[in-house]
Formats: sequence, structure tokens, C-alpha cells
Amino acid sequence: MTENPLEPYIESLRRQLEEQDPVVLVGVIVALAVVVITCVFLKYFLTSKTVRSAVLLVGLCDSGKTLLFIRLLSGKFKRTQTSITDSSAPYKAKNDRSCTWTLIDLPGHDSLRSQYLEKFKSAARAIVFVVDSAIFQKEVRDVAEFLYMLLTDPVVCRITPTLLVICNKQDVAMAKSAKLIQQQLEKELNTLRVTRSAALSAQDGSVGGSVYLGKKGKDFEFSQLPMKVEFLECSARGSKGTNLRRGASAVLPNNQRRGDETLLWLCATSTS
Amino acid sequence: MLDFFTIFSKGGIVLWCFQGAGVSESFTGPVNALIRSVILQERGGNNSFTHEALSLKYKLDNEFELIFVVGFQKILTLTYVDKFIDDVQLHFRDRYKNELEQKGALKLLNNTFDFEDRFKKLLREAEVTSKARSPVPMRSFKESEKSQKTVKSMIETKGGDKSKEQGGKKNKNTKKEAPAVEPPKGDQGKTPPFGQKDVLNGNQGLTPEEIMQKKREDFFRKRKMGPTEKPSKSPKPQKPKEKVNRVWENAGSSSKNLDYSNKNGENSSGEDQKNLEAQFDPEMQVSSMKGDLLSVDYESSEEEEMEEEEEEVVDSKTSVKKSGGFGGMFGMLKGLVGSKSLSREDMEPVLEKMKDHLIAKNVAADISSQLCESVAKKLEGKVMGTFTTVASTVKQALQDSLVQILQPKRRVDILRDVMDAQSQRRPFVITFCGVNGVGKSTNLAKISYWLIENGFSVLIAACDTFRAGAVEQLRTHQRRLNSLHPPEKHGGRPVVQLYEKGYGKDAAGIAMEAIAYARNQTFDVVLVDTAGRMQDNAPLMTALAKLIAVNMPDLVLFVGEALVGNEAVDQLVKFNQALADHSMSDKPRLIDGIVLTKFDTIDDKVGAAISMTYITGQPIVFVGTGQTYNDLRSLNARAVVGALMKA
Repeated sequence: MTENPLEPYIESLRRQLEEQDPVVLVGVIVALAVVVITCVFLKYFLTSKTVRSAVLLVGLCDSGKTLLFIRLLSGKFKRTQTSITDSSAPYKAKNDRSCTWTLIDLPGHDSLRSQYLEKFKSAARAIVFVVDSAIFQKEVRDVAEFLYMLLTDPVVCRITPTLLVICNKQDVAMAKSAKLIQQQLEKELNTLRVTRSAALSAQDGSVGGSVYLGKKGKDFEFSQLPMKVEFLECSARGSKGTNLRRGASAVLPNNQRRGDETLLWLCATSTS
Repeated sequence: MLDFFTIFSKGGIVLWCFQGAGVSESFTGPVNALIRSVILQERGGNNSFTHEALSLKYKLDNEFELIFVVGFQKILTLTYVDKFIDDVQLHFRDRYKNELEQKGALKLLNNTFDFEDRFKKLLREAEVTSKARSPVPMRSFKESEKSQKTVKSMIETKGGDKSKEQGGKKNKNTKKEAPAVEPPKGDQGKTPPFGQKDVLNGNQGLTPEEIMQKKREDFFRKRKMGPTEKPSKSPKPQKPKEKVNRVWENAGSSSKNLDYSNKNGENSSGEDQKNLEAQFDPEMQVSSMKGDLLSVDYESSEEEEMEEEEEEVVDSKTSVKKSGGFGGMFGMLKGLVGSKSLSREDMEPVLEKMKDHLIAKNVAADISSQLCESVAKKLEGKVMGTFTTVASTVKQALQDSLVQILQPKRRVDILRDVMDAQSQRRPFVITFCGVNGVGKSTNLAKISYWLIENGFSVLIAACDTFRAGAVEQLRTHQRRLNSLHPPEKHGGRPVVQLYEKGYGKDAAGIAMEAIAYARNQTFDVVLVDTAGRMQDNAPLMTALAKLIAVNMPDLVLFVGEALVGNEAVDQLVKFNQALADHSMSDKPRLIDGIVLTKFDTIDDKVGAAISMTYITGQPIVFVGTGQTYNDLRSLNARAVVGALMKA
């Protein structure tokens, strides 16, 4: 019964096809085949997951990101100036584990950091947040604001990269310890999430950062975040007796974890 | 003689550095200051910068993303520095071309750049040449042109002799220009090839109208005859600015000229251009007005611009004769694919257009030109990728610069700072200043409403003791705010109080008493309203500076309306100047933030925001979008730049 309405159409189609020139038929078939193959390819490419393999070095201005970048990659000590663009290079871990990531050093200056973060945050697998431990007390609020902006960013919340907070410049005498920095940041972020949610909306009506950090009603702690957060101390300059030629110990943290191992740890704990 | 010379990448890695003999201080500080104040604030128009006792000059290499900086003592005037930087840049590039062309940052780390000997040689050469070039001695009378002219030629006679006189004058003028070029060359040490300098002078010698006419002629000529003609990108022959005898069209020099019966364009040279234009004009109108009127889109005109540009580029590269239409298409394709580096000439027309666009959007005129200049410096020599046109690259770079300018350079979180002051048991003092009628009192009321909503108590200090009704206005606001937030709900204490002492008193004294009162009564915030004053009014500016210097408020906000155009520059400069001049301390309190008011009255002519942030470098803290208490917003940099770049 269902064939009855279709049959006359099929008949007429068959008759028309037979009347046509075979060359035209071949052409039509080839065109159809190309279209089908293209669709298959597109589907394959579009649904393949975007590989995230970037480790971003972020932080305030003058916190030591570029020097850390240089030492992790080459072990040498070079002078640095304020960066105005990003630098990126592939990084291969010392063990034979075939983890290659791209290490990206973003500029920390206030006017540049948001636009570079926009560019690279979707490819981030882990974020290394560098803090200047020597002048931390003066900069607490700025550090916390940047961290808040990072943690409430919708893209970051979606991909939840591992967050490693490195307390740099431990070679300076007045440097604060990682534990102290963690406590201060938690207190500061506790206050910030209240003031930021009360902040004015932008003039075109968009309200920024509707994500509420941590749990309501309880004091903010880094363990409440969906991503893994860890605090480390290190000194990009290394202590006086460092043999700079040993590339593996480019970063000498005080808690005995080498920079190389740090990144390995990052690789192990980050979600793919 | 040089203090230091560094070469570093834009990513911050120093490739090579040199420190002069006897210099012990590190140069990292001054160079960082240079980067932050000049490059990052888009003031890259002029390439020198002074920091304490040092004078710094820099040069950007956009192809390999390098920056060259030289520093020397401010009191020395070294003439060879500009040329020296150019030479060093060329030599460095040539020598390390292979290493620099690799991708990624590893190339900078793995290679050592031993530039020492080459650098020393260049430095010695530069110093030697600067010493060798002694100042040009004045010519004696015998050598000058005047002695060689006959007396007869200098006598003015009517009619025919005028041409000889003009010839003499022309010679004198060119000779005058040439020695005028010499001393600046000697003084500033700018030594580009002489021909180039001529072109610069030549182009600037013509008035803007003549430049426009020349450009228009080129355009028409190209359009008519296709891209086979090479528009002269080489230095055009100078038209010296001589005093041409004006020929009046209707002047009665002879009745023959008034006979228009068989006129065929045989006017004197002064009218030639006008006639040419008249010939071309009707042609253009005839072909372009057919069909529907073009809309005022930005995209359509951009395509025209693109075509014109690509044709120019093709002409300079190929001199093969092609027919008009086909050449145009091929040229555009050739311009799209492949890598070519941007040069000034490529960017010039696009930048001009962008500058006019910005001015049309109410950005102050000289700020637009400075911005375009800075973008040009940033893009010069950059290699464009495939499928990017000059226009799109320039537009993208300009957009990035604008977003960068609008981003605040410091943390802007008033609530957090108020909490801080609260914990220190002192009131947070905000002062509002600005010219007359911008909305200080209205926005003060809006801000106090916002603060009350967030649980703070506010004291309004009525330091506008001049304008009639100012105190009453603030009292009305206070009553309204108290009725919206009755004291019963906030612990029995009125959330807003007004501190006023009537009219005619000294504003600084009232402010001081208000702050003391707030400290006693533990108010969280003090909002100080001042009288509006014109920036040229010296006694009033002194009074304002005294108020701010004596009371040391936590935040000095300049209130400016979004409708203002070029005036914004003048206002802000003079306000800052007054505050700096009249304060006794070493670190004077300047304007800390800007309140942009009446934002709802402008659609997308949001240029005032750019002008104000560019001039002061301070962020826009509040945006006022109306006259009710809820019309207070914060600035969204991306949205503003989007509106600015939109057609």
C-alpha cells in the first residue's frame, strides 16, 4: 500500500535517468559522492575533541613569570623585562613519559592580562599562578582580585584546569611561606565574593561573574573549588650554590619538589 | 657616553645588553618604566622618554618582535643616537636572521647573541661621524644667491617681468629651504637619506587641501586608466611654495579672457587642477549613483579602500601591463595570499580613515592622531599572515590598543577599599570635582544610594558654597534616600546625613570639619561635593587644589560628561596641572578616577571615554546612565570599543 504513491514517481525517475546521457549521470554520481565524503570528513573533524595541552603562567606584574619560564625551559638565568606579548614554547618532561605540553608565559600587566587570558584560557590544561612572596602583604588585594577573576571565569569553571599557586622569590629574606599565603588568600577571597557580587553591572546590562566561589554560608577554602589547587614555594633564581647546568633542578623549591617534578605532577593530576 | 643599550624580545627576555663604563645601576627599572608608560599606554608616537636623570630612546622591530632601547644622561645631547639605533637594528637583524626566524621562544633561549664587538665598532663609528660633522658655517654674501641676481630683476614692473621675478623668488625659496633643512639635520642627528627628507618636507609644505587634491587626482587617474600607471610613490618633485600671482577668473586683465565662446581649458596653471577635477567629477557621479543609494555601512567603504590599496601594491611590485578589470582582481588575490611585511605607505590610507572615524565618534582630534601614530609604529615591518588584508590588520591592532587603554591599570574595587577603611576605623573620603553642569551632585546621590544598599553609612559634605540651591539640592537627596532606607531598618541611625555650613564659607574648612565629624560619629564614607569650576579660572582651581591637598581624600574623582569632545583633553590636563602645582608635598594627589556621566545621551559616539582615559591614564570608575538612583553602571571596555569601531 505504501508503495503505490511512490511507484509512479520511481517509474518516471527511472525513465528520465535512462533517457539521460551517461556522461551526465556519471557527473551527477561523482558530485554526490564528493558531497558525501566532505560531510563525513567535516563530521569527523568537528566532533574530535580539542586537545588542551597548554600550561599557562599567569600572575601579577614583576612576580617572576618570565624568569620561571626561562629556567624551566633551559635552566639558564637571563635578565628579563616587562613582557608585552606572550611567549610560548613546547616543554618535554625529563622522564620518558611522552607528555609534551606548551608552556605559555602571559604578560602580567593590568591592561594586557585580560586580553591574553581570553586568547589562551580555553586551551589551558593547568594554570600556574605565580605570586611574589616578598611583597605579598602589600599586594594581597591585587593578587586576590586576579585570582577571583580567574576562578569565576565561565570558561575556566567549565574546563577546571589544575591550579598551582607558586610562591616565588623565596630567596628574599622577608618572603612569606606558602601556608600563610594560602590563609591570607582564603580570607581575602571570602570578602571579595561578597563585594564582587554587589558590584555594579556594566553599562550594557551584562553582569560579570555570576559564579559564587565555594559554598555559601561557610568560609571560603580552596578545597571547596571544583578544581585541584596546590600551593608551592620556589625560587626562580635558585640558591647561591646552584649548579645552573643541571637543567632538571632549574627550580629549587624549598619543599624538595623540583620544578620538573612539579610539572609532572601537573600532568598526572590534570584531567584530560 | 651611552649609559646602556639593551635588546630584548617583546615577551620580556633580554637577548643582549651593554652597560657603559662607570655605570653601576641596573637599567631594568628605567626600561620597565619606559615600557609601562609609553608602549603600554599607546603613546608610541615619539620615540624618546625621560625617566629621572636618564633619557631613553627606543625602536620597535615588529617583524621579529624585538625592542631596542638606548639610555643616556639627560643633560647630554647626543646627536648620533637615532641613526645609531637604526644601524644597530639593521646589523643585528642581518647577523642573526637565521636564528630569529625560527618559531617559538626557544630560539631566544638557546642562542647566545654575541654582539659586543660589532656594537663597539658601530658606536665608535657613530661617535666619530658626529664629531666630524661640524656645524655649517654661514655663507658669505658673495656666495649667496642675492649677490648674483641683477638689480634689474628685482624691480617690480607690471606684466611680463613678473615671471622673471617669480623665477628669482622661487630660487630664493628653495635655497632657503635647503639651509633650513641643514641645521635641523645637524642638531637632531636625524639623518635619513636626503631625498626622503625632501619628500617629507615637500609633503608637509603643501597644504592639506592640495594633498587631498593630489590624492584625488591619483585616484581618478588610476580609475580611468587602470593600474598600469605607477602612482608616484617615489619622492614627488617638490612644488616649492612660491607666491603665485593670483589670477582672478572674472578679473579684467584683458577682455579676451572674458570671451568664453571657444574656451577649451586653456587657463593659467593655477586653474588647471580645478578644471581637471571638474572633468572627473561628473564622471564619478554618473557611474556611482546608479541604482540604489549605498548605505552608510563601514564594510562597503572598506572594500573600496581595499581595492585601491591592493592595486597600489600590485603596481609597485609588477609593471606588467594588464587590462583594468582583470588586473584589479589578480592584484587583490595576490595581496591576500602570501606574506608581505607592512610598510608605512600601505598603512597610511587605512590609518587616515581610522583617524577620521575615531574623530567622528567624538574622540579628541590629537588623541586620535597619537593613537594612529602609535599603532603605525607597532605594525611597521610586521609580516602579515595569509588571507589578511592591511585594513583588517590595522583595524584589529587599533581595536586591541583601544581595549588596552580602557582596561584599568590598577584594581578598581571601591567596596573593598571602604571595608578596608572601616577596619582601620577611619572614614573613606571621596571628592568629586569637575566643570559646571556635568552632574556631580546627581551622581553623588547615585553613588551614595549604591553604598547604602551595600550597608554602609554615608556623610555628604556640602562644600559647594557658591551655587544657589546647592545645599538644598543635597538636602532633598538626603531626605529621599532616608525615606527609601528608613533608619529603623538600619539600626536606628539615619544612613545618610548632610554636613553643611551654608553659603559663602571656605570649602576646604568645611571638608575638614566634615571628615572629623565623620570620624567621631563613625561614618563609613564621606562624599565631598565641590562647586563646578572652569579649568581656566585660576583662583578657583587654586581653591580646589587646596581642598584636596589639605584633606588628602582617598579618592579624587573627576566628573566628566560623555558629550564633551575635544574639551575633555583641556579640562583634564588643566585640572591635573592645578592639583600638581598647588600641592606642597613631593607626591601630589592627582585625579584618581573618572566618572563618565550622561552616557545615555550618546548612542555610540563614545569617544569621550577614550580621550579621558588616555589623557590621565586613570580608569573610569562609574558610568552614569540617567537621572534616577538606579542609573549607575561600571564600564565594560569591550562593549565600548565595539561601539566605537562599529560603523
